[in-house]
Amino acid sequence: MHKQIVRLLAVFLTATLVATACGGSSGDETAPATTAAAADDATDNEPDDDAASPSASTEPPLEDENQITSEGEGMNGLDLDPVAGGEITFALVNDGTGFSTTDAIAPGSIRVITSMNDSIAGLNDRGEWIPNLAESITPNDDFTEWIITMREGLLFADGEPVDGEAVRANIQAFKDGSVTGFAFTAVESIDVVDDLSVKVTMNTPWGAFPFQLVGQPGWMVSPSTIGQNDTFMGTGPFMLESWVPGDSVRVVRNPNYWRADEGLPYLDAITFKFLPDQTVRRQALEAGDIEGYISPGDSDIVDFLEDDNVNVWLGEAGANEYLYLLNTTKAPFDDIRVRRALAHATDRDFLIENFRSGLTTPANGPINPSSKWWVDTDYPEYDLEAAKALVDEYEAEVGPIEFEISIEPSPATEEVLDVAISFWQEAGMDASAKLIGGGQSAATAIADDFQAFSWFQFGSPDPDGVFTFMHSSSGFLNWSNLQNDKIDEGLRIGRENVDEATRKEGYALFQEGLTEALPFIWIDHLNGIEGAAVMPRLHGIGANAPLVNGDRSLGMTNGSFFSWEQVWLEP
Amino acid sequence: MRILRLILVFFVVTFFTFFLLDNSPGDPAAARAGLNATPEAIEQIREEMGLNRPFLTRYFDWLGGAVQLDFGDSNVVTGFTSWRLIQNALPKTIELMVLAEVLAIGISVPLAVASARRPGSWIDRVSSGGAFGLLALPAFVLGIYLSFFFGVKLGWFPTIVEDLPSIFRNPIGNLHQMFLPSLTLALNLVAVYLRLLRSDMIDTLQEDYVMLAQARGMSERRIMWRHVLRPSSLNLTTAIGLNIAALIGGAFIIEVLFAINGIGRLTIISVFLEDYSTVAAIVALLTVAYVAANFAVDILYSILDPRIRHDNT
Repeated sequence: MHKQIVRLLAVFLTATLVATACGGSSGDETAPATTAAAADDATDNEPDDDAASPSASTEPPLEDENQITSEGEGMNGLDLDPVAGGEITFALVNDGTGFSTTDAIAPGSIRVITSMNDSIAGLNDRGEWIPNLAESITPNDDFTEWIITMREGLLFADGEPVDGEAVRANIQAFKDGSVTGFAFTAVESIDVVDDLSVKVTMNTPWGAFPFQLVGQPGWMVSPSTIGQNDTFMGTGPFMLESWVPGDSVRVVRNPNYWRADEGLPYLDAITFKFLPDQTVRRQALEAGDIEGYISPGDSDIVDFLEDDNVNVWLGEAGANEYLYLLNTTKAPFDDIRVRRALAHATDRDFLIENFRSGLTTPANGPINPSSKWWVDTDYPEYDLEAAKALVDEYEAEVGPIEFEISIEPSPATEEVLDVAISFWQEAGMDASAKLIGGGQSAATAIADDFQAFSWFQFGSPDPDGVFTFMHSSSGFLNWSNLQNDKIDEGLRIGRENVDEATRKEGYALFQEGLTEALPFIWIDHLNGIEGAAVMPRLHGIGANAPLVNGDRSLGMTNGSFFSWEQVWLEP
Repeated sequence: MRILRLILVFFVVTFFTFFLLDNSPGDPAAARAGLNATPEAIEQIREEMGLNRPFLTRYFDWLGGAVQLDFGDSNVVTGFTSWRLIQNALPKTIELMVLAEVLAIGISVPLAVASARRPGSWIDRVSSGGAFGLLALPAFVLGIYLSFFFGVKLGWFPTIVEDLPSIFRNPIGNLHQMFLPSLTLALNLVAVYLRLLRSDMIDTLQEDYVMLAQARGMSERRIMWRHVLRPSSLNLTTAIGLNIAALIGGAFIIEVLFAINGIGRLTIISVFLEDYSTVAAIVALLTVAYVAANFAVDILYSILDPRIRHDNT
């Protein structure tokens, strides 16, 4: 009983810390979302199911590792001596569609790739980027050129060298990718400087560029396998042994891992098993058939916090947002009054209380309230009368408000949407859900074939990560099609500058623009429910692992990015 | 004649499957061309893929590939053909169905014999009650209960199938994993088989030749197993044949519940991801399997009851 009280207090304390951070600007510098990867993130319609881009912490610097999760028991095992060896089975929700780094990659694939990949840059627990595979990442004075110099002696899993030419080939392929390329429109050229270095030249200053190298653009695969979908010959702690689409992926220790001298990774192999059904995942864990699983869901989290036999690790460090995306070039959302009415009619507190067990925090934009970039804006609160008044005004002038909101098949999310629709109907809007194919969100949005969308994305603590999806220059990846000067200018300032005060001004302008124009109806930040449930003998899953420069890494980010090289199994 | 019917059914089903595939949303040429492709590039790819040819030409092309098990590439999982995905899944589904049938027959036949031997006895009442109970329980409920009880609580069997060893190389390891899913699938069948066989056996027991056998002092066990069971098995055999479709339907649920990488799970994933080429391949194969199974049942009839063979001749 005492332990339970302590754990509940830990949860309360964590929530209090987040709430405290909401009111201020303390925090850390953070990381990017990687465009195409994040684009694919949007295809994942499970709130607890994913993250596409390695986005970093929005938490204040952690005083100790215990702060990063809400579960106290066992913690991340950093106080114990890791034991090498052993294999685990870890359940994921869905498989992806392959491992090509030059395509949009589905969330299921990205989670597996995190075990096979180390990026050019990494993130420390203050959310700052650091060179990781790279020895250095150096800009010129105006941030229009970046020199990336790789460490000596790095090898891909197939034994090929990670040299300047390999880096150039990977980044060039990313830029040339039909989808991924839109994230790198600011990149003019990539040239080999010497055996270990490349120069990336921009057509505009890009101070936040290294954050991109934490994510998909910074994933390096052996040049002969670039663009291949059924393999991933990377630089991470594990390498692909087998993939049975839809069923499982098995990865084994990479014999050429660049940090093998440190005894990493600890595990010999990981089998990722895809278990879409939450009941099946939970029973498999309780039966000991798997060592852990991702996306426990709010009800399981509440249960497991009371259960000494299961540890819960929550990605407090960063999370996706759940929102309703509006197509601002199609009626009725081409009128700000309708967008505002929708925002006023949406009772976010009700949704959070009833569908998240109160574990998430309301959102007013893509930036987490605990981030130093966050500002309080005058986001429309729930006000049914105000919504009705706006609806009446619009209908008197234009006509009835009717719209369809697209959604992928997902019972849990459809339930939330059904309730949201009932809110909107109460305000006088005739809304209905439109079911689309699984994994089709991004493609549907790119094709502009929607009025509104039930959407999961972002979780990008460094706001530059959302540039591609909200700046008017991004073409079809500017999801809402909104052209807004404040948003554009704010994002531009944030991208081109490195001075924190200037960037803060830019992102304040950006958030102000978002609230004024309302291209998105925000529901919540999903930190608090994105995480993993594991057996107590599995350690290191949420660890702030030591980085190569001695810093601590961010632990779990977005509830799905684990430092797999640090995971170990207690015999 | 039966073979001709089989071929006709195959053509009808594959034709409509291909028709649906052809009219499914999305443009394979545009998908292959990528998002930046110009209309001219897409048109060129469409030409290269033969998508501009008449529907019937493309159907017979697809059919020509299908009979050689070439169903084309998965349009979602790049780098995999639809047949490769099916190849991974098919053996597990076949094993699941065979084990379920074996278990169902293994449980229902002795119970039916015992029940028919003493109608109204305790064993008859218990088995009949149990059968109705099983009929009322959907497979997904039964599966969760069995998994929870035997997997989570008792720890006797795994709750998911993982890295399944070959039944020929490691039968114990294989059956240890496949027992719960097979039992779940079998229990619904037991109810049907038991009631059907019991009823037929009670009817057969009224036949003159059975009474003659009894009068000649033949043992009850011999009469039941040798002279009553066989002629009473016709309806059971029909049910087994027809139940192949039910088994496939049941496998969809069981494979998800126990994480078996089988055809059912593959179908669900393919539908979810709109991998139409794989869906079409599965439908074509299931059609052949279903029709062939019923053809085999027809042949079994004549073996079980020579009168059918003689009537036909």
